[in-house]
Amino acid sequence: MDIKPLEKEKIPYSELEELEKECPSQEKEKKNGISSLDDEKEIISKNILSNIHQYDVIIIGGGLTGLRAALQVSDAQLKVAIISKVHPLRSHSVAAQGGMNASLANVPGENETVDNWKIHAYDTVKGSDYLADQDAVEIMCREAPSTVIELEHMGTAWSRLENGKIAQRPFGGAGFPRTCYAADRTGHNALHTLYEQVISRDIPIYEDFFVTSLVTENEYCVGCTALEILTGKIHGFLASAVLMATGGFGRLFNSSTNALINTGDGQSLALNAGVSLKDMEFVQFHPTTLYGTNILITEGARGEGGILINKNGERFMGNYAPNSLDLAPRDVVARAIDTEIAEGRGFKGGYVHLDLRHLGEELIKERLPGIRQISIDFAGVDPINEPIPIQPGQHYSMGGIDADKDGKTSLKGFYAAGECACISVHGANRLGGNSLLETVVFGRMVGDAIIEEISKGSCKEQNNLETVQKAITEIDSKLKIILSRNTSENQFKIKESLNNTMSSKFGIFRDRVVMEKGILEIEEIKKKLSQIKIDNKKLALNQAIIRFLELEYLVQLAETVAFAAMKREESRGSHTRTDYPSRDDKKFLKHTITSLQNKKISVSYKPVVLGMFKPQERVY
Amino acid sequence: MKLKVFRYHEGMSAPHYDTFSLEEEPSMTVLRALFQFQEQFDDSLAFQYSCRGSVCGACAMLINKVPRLACRTQVASLLKGEQQIALSPYPALEEKVGWDPSQEVLVEPLPHFPVVKDLIVDRNAFFKSYKFMEPVIKPESIPPKENLMDPSDLPDLELYTNCILCAACYGACPVDGENKDYLGPAALAKLYRFHIDPRDADNRRLEKADINNGWWACDFHGNCRQVCPKGVPPIMAIGQAQAELMEKKEKSEDKK
Repeated sequence: MDIKPLEKEKIPYSELEELEKECPSQEKEKKNGISSLDDEKEIISKNILSNIHQYDVIIIGGGLTGLRAALQVSDAQLKVAIISKVHPLRSHSVAAQGGMNASLANVPGENETVDNWKIHAYDTVKGSDYLADQDAVEIMCREAPSTVIELEHMGTAWSRLENGKIAQRPFGGAGFPRTCYAADRTGHNALHTLYEQVISRDIPIYEDFFVTSLVTENEYCVGCTALEILTGKIHGFLASAVLMATGGFGRLFNSSTNALINTGDGQSLALNAGVSLKDMEFVQFHPTTLYGTNILITEGARGEGGILINKNGERFMGNYAPNSLDLAPRDVVARAIDTEIAEGRGFKGGYVHLDLRHLGEELIKERLPGIRQISIDFAGVDPINEPIPIQPGQHYSMGGIDADKDGKTSLKGFYAAGECACISVHGANRLGGNSLLETVVFGRMVGDAIIEEISKGSCKEQNNLETVQKAITEIDSKLKIILSRNTSENQFKIKESLNNTMSSKFGIFRDRVVMEKGILEIEEIKKKLSQIKIDNKKLALNQAIIRFLELEYLVQLAETVAFAAMKREESRGSHTRTDYPSRDDKKFLKHTITSLQNKKISVSYKPVVLGMFKPQERVY
Repeated sequence: MKLKVFRYHEGMSAPHYDTFSLEEEPSMTVLRALFQFQEQFDDSLAFQYSCRGSVCGACAMLINKVPRLACRTQVASLLKGEQQIALSPYPALEEKVGWDPSQEVLVEPLPHFPVVKDLIVDRNAFFKSYKFMEPVIKPESIPPKENLMDPSDLPDLELYTNCILCAACYGACPVDGENKDYLGPAALAKLYRFHIDPRDADNRRLEKADINNGWWACDFHGNCRQVCPKGVPPIMAIGQAQAELMEKKEKSEDKK
């Protein structure tokens, strides 16, 4: 076995060179800034300098949003770096299967009707149970065709129609076959494409860096701190703009399709920096996740004609969505399956069947090869011969960092996009195929907004060395305190009980009594956090401490989900209150805002941006 | 059922193995077993993971002397003696420690990379080869709409776009073990992927690896194809590329 000592420096750029870099729009001031740095060099030891990196733009997260945004700002000649706790190709975007919605109209609708962005927007707004901001939805749907085509030009291997155009399949809640796909590996194909583009531009990537705090000064976000996982060293990053693109918080729940790394780091970091979160109670449960492991089985399987069958052999969706049947939106289908199981029509253990057998071997192998492999590997079932056992599982976080359509937040210099953000294109329920779309559209658009802001000269003073050094010291001592504890709580057991609480008390069906219990349980869990003991006392490559920091983030988000869910006394989209079974537009056609005030979560509301489509009853 | 895990960290004089009795879980994967080890036995165990659904490629490691994804490999079927893959031998497959395959699952870091800690290796060399290939589409021109593509071109292209860059093939390739400068199966397959993409305008793609440590270094052991969790066949790409290059050379000789 080949064993070599760990390479100490894997930083892509010379740090000193970074400190000399200049913001294009404020050359003069910057030069002054640098010279004052030079003056200070006696008090700043070289050691600390090597920990501090300066860019125009820092992007936290290397999934589709982060990579797309990085391309945009890099092409505008801004100096940008990506920070990610994993290699970008391990980001959860890679797991997206079914596709990306765009009204390309490559496939005609019923009776030769032709799709357009307005119908896409209507489907999205109706799917959102009217909680989406319609200005943001309009942008996303208008930009969708050019976004899919842009990826095609960058090299994505989209599946094709006989005429050579990009193939499209039907998806839940959509009036047209609108979902463009690359077999059932759409996320994989798109992520590899964008990574290729990032690599070809030599954009620096700080891989295996775990972000530990946002650094703010005078109500401006000036950068972040991050733990270099391999060495245990804390780094500081300074930038004119920081974009959060860290994905969702699915690992708050114990049955989730999400990657194990989806721990809501970005939402929690934002909350702690004084930024509000929006609509956190809206958590999507995907109807078809593999029984047991909860690995995603794409909605595309039903798009291609797959049907849901209960224990009695009945195709039950007709009882819940007489028109759309198995292709109703996810909230509707997930509730239907849970109801079937609760009423004794599920299989023992709590699942139903997704039957693809009638589609035939050829179609399954051509369009759904990935989920066939997953079914074989993880459930020992070949969908060509047997139905797939499925159950609903947490899948997507509609809520997130409160951001406007430019990704701007209440904190100047701090932006958010993708699943970690709530620009609010999904409202109370996201349509399948709209999340990949959102990541790439808003990765680019928010990239543009950042470029514009920096070129306007709203670059702030760059002499924030002291602030970032202070932030580094704070994190350093925090980690040391955690490691020095001689307490006895086991973090893995606490994580398990948090997951159980969230899934059993804040799952598909919710009511006050159960949620009250849940809130008390979260309080108990929160108290135990400071009693957790970590055995591994070294900071370098200590996964236990990374998992602990992730747990801290998750517990904080659990509170926001719980309080927001408790206060929303209505049923809308994914948020189903058995004690308030109807939608209540008079009281709750508004976004929930959760923020941290005096270390406590407070809940307030803000209006929804309506527009083209007036709220109506939502029937499928 | 037991897990026998390779342990090493900087400063240790030599690596050792830890053995841990597993608590049985239904359809337990090796990744789940590693988490059990970390959560119940020693929280300092280090291994990489992300998707746990065999799509991200983070958790490639040497399991029962075969490079595999930990998240895709079932403990029970290993113990039953299933999932055996006969690989062309290379030094990393030699038994350095005794283990009982009917009772134990042996987990070691992916061969041919420097070990950083326990099961984590430094894949830098792998991504350096990848980058060397200039893995990005180079179009002739950009049409206003999508490029049209014959759907019958896709199956071949998908064979290679399915690569998740987990590096299992690199850890399985005897040539990579002997020759650190060999570009390796995944990078070569990636280059071939761009070569056969009908949208790509660079007609000198294959020449990029027309060097001693490129196409010509392959000994056709075929381990790459056998261990690929996504069914990608780098050996086929390499064979095709060699044939095409030879044909090209013959043609240019003829012209002279």
